[in-house]
Amino acid sequence: MTPPEAGKMEQRDALTATVLEAMGVSMHFSVNGVRKGVLDDVTFSVGQGECTCIVGQSGCGKTTLLNILAGFIAPTAGLVRVRGRRITKPGPDRCVVFQEDTLFPWLTVSENVAFGLTGKKGLTETIEERVNHFLALVGLLDFRHYLPRDISGGMKQRVELARVLVLDPHILLMDEPFASLDYRTRREMQDLLIALAQELSQTIIFVTHDVDEAISIADKIEIMAINPGTITEELHIGQERPRRVTEASYGVYRDRIYRALWS
Amino acid sequence: MKGTNTGKGDKKGLVHGILPWIIPAAFVCAWFVISRAGILPPYLLPDPVTVIGTAHIYIFAEPGSAPYAGRFLQDASTSLLRVFLGFSIAVAVGLPLGILSGRVAEINRLFSTFINGLRAVPGITWLPIAMVWLGIGMRTTVFLVALAAFFPIYLNAMAGARQINPLLLRAGAMMGTGRIRGSYAVLLPGAMPHIMTGLRLGLGISWAYLVLGELTGVPDGLGAVIMDARMIGRVDIIIMGMILIAIVGKMSDALLVAFLRLSFKSARRMP
Repeated sequence: MTPPEAGKMEQRDALTATVLEAMGVSMHFSVNGVRKGVLDDVTFSVGQGECTCIVGQSGCGKTTLLNILAGFIAPTAGLVRVRGRRITKPGPDRCVVFQEDTLFPWLTVSENVAFGLTGKKGLTETIEERVNHFLALVGLLDFRHYLPRDISGGMKQRVELARVLVLDPHILLMDEPFASLDYRTRREMQDLLIALAQELSQTIIFVTHDVDEAISIADKIEIMAINPGTITEELHIGQERPRRVTEASYGVYRDRIYRALWS
Repeated sequence: MKGTNTGKGDKKGLVHGILPWIIPAAFVCAWFVISRAGILPPYLLPDPVTVIGTAHIYIFAEPGSAPYAGRFLQDASTSLLRVFLGFSIAVAVGLPLGILSGRVAEINRLFSTFINGLRAVPGITWLPIAMVWLGIGMRTTVFLVALAAFFPIYLNAMAGARQINPLLLRAGAMMGTGRIRGSYAVLLPGAMPHIMTGLRLGLGISWAYLVLGELTGVPDGLGAVIMDARMIGRVDIIIMGMILIAIVGKMSDALLVAFLRLSFKSARRMP
């Protein structure tokens, strides 16, 4: 192989390896003529199969950032690229799991999971097969005919997860998805998420204010400061999975994050 | 234990089944007592048996064998057609306009002043001008029904579209739902409880305005029969007509609900 060709190959690899890039993303608005910044020059990138956690205290603009990445709102400056293409509106390549229950209450569990598949091209199996496969992955196959109002909060979040994983998105955006669940259910959901992400090599951006949650699931943590919201530090978590809160390294990571958050 | 439980359930079911009929039955009893005891004379309040006899003739007797004999089918179908046409026009205009007004602020601003101004004009004041423009009969009646049914349908569709959880719309959008599919797969089902209320109110008021339109001297229809009977002093026919409108109106409401439940998951699975 000649050197120029090798260079091209490397370049292409680098392009496919980066799934999402945020460049100088800023969000400002004026209150009584005073310019106020919610987000200021947020820049980071996420690689294929990586789980990136954005950690910051309440009000630092995490949710605003996620809404920009999803394409729900446009930033006042900067841009976001997914697989090299600039995003301008929401789309099934960037699926979102919300904190609140956003299942369609008039559809059963399996109809909710099938919702995004209707009209999707290039499926190798029937919609029903695919839906059942993903319902089995989140452990809800037996509940597929239930309506959302008849299942628990934890089960609803499993359905939320299934209905976006089934679309095979380039990236999964999660906005404190487990914040309203009790401790035990939250741990179960974290384990399930990690297992599924590894099995499907799913790229994830996970927003949370819970430092322990971030350490237990992240490959990489972006620490966000407040007023204006901007990323002050990037932390790679090299720890093997499954991780335990009792491990010594946990405390080291935790100290570093807390220092960055409240220095 | 199980037996007593089932027994309790049956009892509960029985009470549940009887409950809606207690007040109508009491009403008929009071009517019977008042008319039979002579508290009111028959030319003001004929007794229930007379009215039932009249209804029997009106519904089942050979046409021409007596005044009003066997006219029911003809009158009821004419009235139903008028209600159906007027109500359909109100739905076709009110539903899309209401949903659009609930979602798009500019459209709401464009229409709301005019529509709410129009709404302040009592429906009955449209009668004279409608008769001048459209003559007596089908067209005036359909016009009045459509006009009256429009407002509750429009207002409730607007409220339904406005109150929908914006996160549901975002969820639809992030799963790749475009404007068109979003409208019927997210917006319409999300607004369904309000839409259903609007449609039922609209259909109810349709019957009121049907009778108004038919009171103006049309030869057929349930409203026309009532007005006709007043001219010749047949109170039994008036009362019979009122009861028949109540029954047909209630049935049309049940039919509307059944139709919506059959056609839309969101109506069938309403909490």
